[in-house]
Amino acid sequence: MSVRRRKGGRVVQWQGRLFLTPTVVILLLLTIFPFLFTLAMAFGKVSFEGGTLRITITGVRNWTRLVHDSRFWNSLVVTLKIVSLSVFCEYVLGLLLAMLLNRRIRGQTFFRVTFLLPMMLAPIAVGYIWRMMLNDTRGPFNDFLRHLGFRAVGWLSDPNVAMYSIVLTDIWQWTPFMILILLAGLQGIPKDYIEAAKVDGASGWKIFFYVTFPLLAPASIAAVFLRSVEAFKIIDIIYIMTGGGPGLVTESLTLYGYSVGLRAFDLAYGATISFSLFFVVLASSVLFFLLTRKARQISLE
Amino acid sequence: MRKVLVAIGILLLGISVFGAEKRFEGVTITVFTQPPPFIAKPVQMFAPDWERMTGGKVRLITAPWAELYPKMYSSFALGARLYDIVIFPAAWLPDFAGAGFLAPLDDFIAKDPRIAWDDILPVYRERIVTWGGTVFAVPVDGDCHIFYYRKDALENSEYQAKFKEKYGYDLPVPPRTWEEVRDIAEFFNGWDWDNDGRPEYGVVEARRKDDQAYWTFFSRAAGYVSIPGQPGGLFFDPETMEPLINSPGHVKALEDYIEIMKFGVPGMINMDSGEIRTVFAAGEAAMAIDWGDIGVLSEVGEESVVKGKVGYAILPGATTVWDYKKGEWVEFAEPNQAPYLAFGGWVAGIDAKSPNIEAAYDFISFLASPENSYRSVTTPETGFNPYRYSHFEKLSGWIAFGFSPEAAAAYLKAIQDTIAHPNVQPDLRVPGGARYFEALDAELALAAAGQKSPQEALDAVAGAWERITEELGRENQLKAYRLSLGLPVE
Repeated sequence: MSVRRRKGGRVVQWQGRLFLTPTVVILLLLTIFPFLFTLAMAFGKVSFEGGTLRITITGVRNWTRLVHDSRFWNSLVVTLKIVSLSVFCEYVLGLLLAMLLNRRIRGQTFFRVTFLLPMMLAPIAVGYIWRMMLNDTRGPFNDFLRHLGFRAVGWLSDPNVAMYSIVLTDIWQWTPFMILILLAGLQGIPKDYIEAAKVDGASGWKIFFYVTFPLLAPASIAAVFLRSVEAFKIIDIIYIMTGGGPGLVTESLTLYGYSVGLRAFDLAYGATISFSLFFVVLASSVLFFLLTRKARQISLE
Repeated sequence: MRKVLVAIGILLLGISVFGAEKRFEGVTITVFTQPPPFIAKPVQMFAPDWERMTGGKVRLITAPWAELYPKMYSSFALGARLYDIVIFPAAWLPDFAGAGFLAPLDDFIAKDPRIAWDDILPVYRERIVTWGGTVFAVPVDGDCHIFYYRKDALENSEYQAKFKEKYGYDLPVPPRTWEEVRDIAEFFNGWDWDNDGRPEYGVVEARRKDDQAYWTFFSRAAGYVSIPGQPGGLFFDPETMEPLINSPGHVKALEDYIEIMKFGVPGMINMDSGEIRTVFAAGEAAMAIDWGDIGVLSEVGEESVVKGKVGYAILPGATTVWDYKKGEWVEFAEPNQAPYLAFGGWVAGIDAKSPNIEAAYDFISFLASPENSYRSVTTPETGFNPYRYSHFEKLSGWIAFGFSPEAAAAYLKAIQDTIAHPNVQPDLRVPGGARYFEALDAELALAAAGQKSPQEALDAVAGAWERITEELGRENQLKAYRLSLGLPVE
C-alpha cells in the first residue's frame, strides 16, 4: 500500500480510503437513509399520487396527535413496565445462575448448555409455547393448580395478570443472555482479589458486595443496557400471546406502531410512534449511563 | 381390451394437451398472496395444469398477512408491476379499484364461457368484486359468518324440558335471536352436558385484540341495526357519512357481546378464530360463530370429538331493531336476521399495468372455473369456502372430503341461506377500511376487558371514525360508501 506523507506530517492512506468508500457509502445508505425517510414520514403525510410515493411535510401535526393520544401513553407505560420488570428479574436471576455456573459443580457443561437453550428459540415459537402452557382450560399451569385444589388463573385473559405472564415469558427466554454475559464477566475477575479478601477474613457476602459485584460492573452495565434496548422493542411475544389485550394492558409501543402502520396502513403516524420509541430508548440509555457513571464514581470514592 | 382403451385415452389426452395451441408460451405470470397452505394452495394445485395447457409459467410469491396490503399497495401505486395477479381480501377492493390499480375484467368475463359467471352467487359477482358497476376481480372464496350449535345438547329432550322449566319457553333449535342465544349459553355453561367427565361451556367466540373480533361484533350488531330494504345502518349514514357505530342498536349488540362472555369458555377474551375452532371441535362449547372453518374442522378434523353432532344455521337476529332513520327502536313480529359477509372472501385481481393481463386473466379463469373451484373448496387447507351454486349442488366432493351426507347438506344449506338471504350485509368496503376497523378493534378490546362501558367505547370509535373520514375526504368516502351499498352517486 502506498503511503503519502503531507507537509504537516499527516498520513493519508489513499488506497485504503478508496477501498473503504463503497462500504461506507452502502452502510450510510442502509442506515442513514431509512432513518431520515422514517423521520420525514413522522413529520409528514404519505400518499402515492401519480405513481410515486410522496411525503408532504405537515410539521408537527403527527406529534400533536401523539401527545393527545391516550393509547400512545398507555403503550408507553406498558412498555416501560415490561422493560423494567423483565430486565430487573433477568439480571437478578442471571447473576444468581451465573455465579452458580461459575463454581465447580457436577454436570457444569450440561447446565450451561441447558440454561442457554431458551435464548436460541425464535420469540414467535416461545410465544406459542407459553400461550399453550398458560391456556385457561387446557394449559398445564392451570391443570397443576387445579390438582392442588386452587382456582385456575386467567394467565392471559385476566387484565390484572396478563402483563406479568408476558414478563414471565420474557424472563424465561432472555435470562440466559444475562447468564452468558455475567458468566464471562465473572470468569474475567482475577482469582487473586478474591483470595486476598478471603485471607483478610472477609465473609462470602462481603466478598460479593465489595469485590465481585464492583468488578462485575462493566459486564453488568453491558448486559442490562443491551437487554433493555432489546426489551423496549418487544412485539413478537406479545403479538402471539395476547395481541396486546385484554383491553390494552399488554400493548407495547412497537405493537401499537405495527397496528397503526401496517394494519391500518397509516404510515406517517406509524412512523411517528416508531420515532417516539427511538427517543424513549435514547433518553433511557442516556439516563442509564449517567446513573451508572454516578454509581461507579460513588463506589470508587 | 381395457388396456387398449386406456392406451387410446392416454394418447388422446396427450394429443389434446401437447397438440393444443400454447397460447402463452414464454409468458410468466406472477401471483402474489399469503404463504401456503391457506389461499396459496389452490395456486400450487392448478398452476402445473395451466402451464401444460398454455405454455405459460406461474410464479408464486407470498408474504405474511401483515405485509400483504403494504406490498400490494406500494407495487400498484409506484407502478412497480411486481405482481400480475394479486389474491387479496375483498375488503381491500375499494382501495385498489378506486385508485385505478386493477384491470377491469367485464370484457374478459363476457367472452369467457369457462368462468361460468352466472354460477357465482349474485352477492359475490354483483357486489363483492365490483366497484362503480365494473368488475375488478374474480371471487375465489366465499366468506360469511354462520352459527354453529351442538345438536346433542340443544336437541336433548331432557335438557329441553329443564330449559323450559327455567326460562319459560321452548328451547329453540336453532336459536333465532341473540337473546335466545344468551339464555341457551347460560343454560349450558359450566356443567358436563356431554358426559365426558369435564365441564362444558355455553359459547365460544373470537374476542382477541388485533385479530378478528370486530367481525364477530358486527355479526351480532347486524340483526339489531340492519332493516330489510334500508341500506346502510351497519356502518355509516349513507346520506352524510356520519358514523352509526354508537347508535343504540350497536350499543345493545356490544352489551350482548360482553355479557355472553360470562357464559363462554374460560379465556375466551384472548381467543382468535383459530383457537375457537379447535375449542369447538374439542367439544368444549355448545354454540359458536365462525366462518365455514368450524364446520370443516368439526366434521373432517382428525382430533374432532363432535363429528355428526354439529348443527348449522344462519346468524340469529333480534325482534327489537334500531331504525337509524327514524331514530327509534322498531318491533318485528319475526326476528330480523341479517347474516353478515364478514371479511367477504378472497378475490383475484390483475394489476392494470401488467404486461400480461390476458394470460393473468386466463389463469384466474382456470383457477376459478366451476370444476377447479369445486376441488379447491373441497380440499383441506385451501382456505376457500363455497361461493358458486354448483358448490352447493354436488355433495360428492364434500363426502369425499370427510363430511357425512347429512352434515354436508346442513352445512351447505346454512352457508347458502346466508349468502342468498335478502337482508345479507356485506362487509365495510371503503378506502381506508382497515383504519376504521383498527380503531374499532382497540375500543372493543377495552369494552370486553371492562375498562370502558359499551357506550363510552363506541362513542370513542365514532369520534375516531369521524377523524378518519375527515382525513380521507368526506365526499370521497361518502361516494365510495354509497357505491359499496349499490346506491346512486352524483
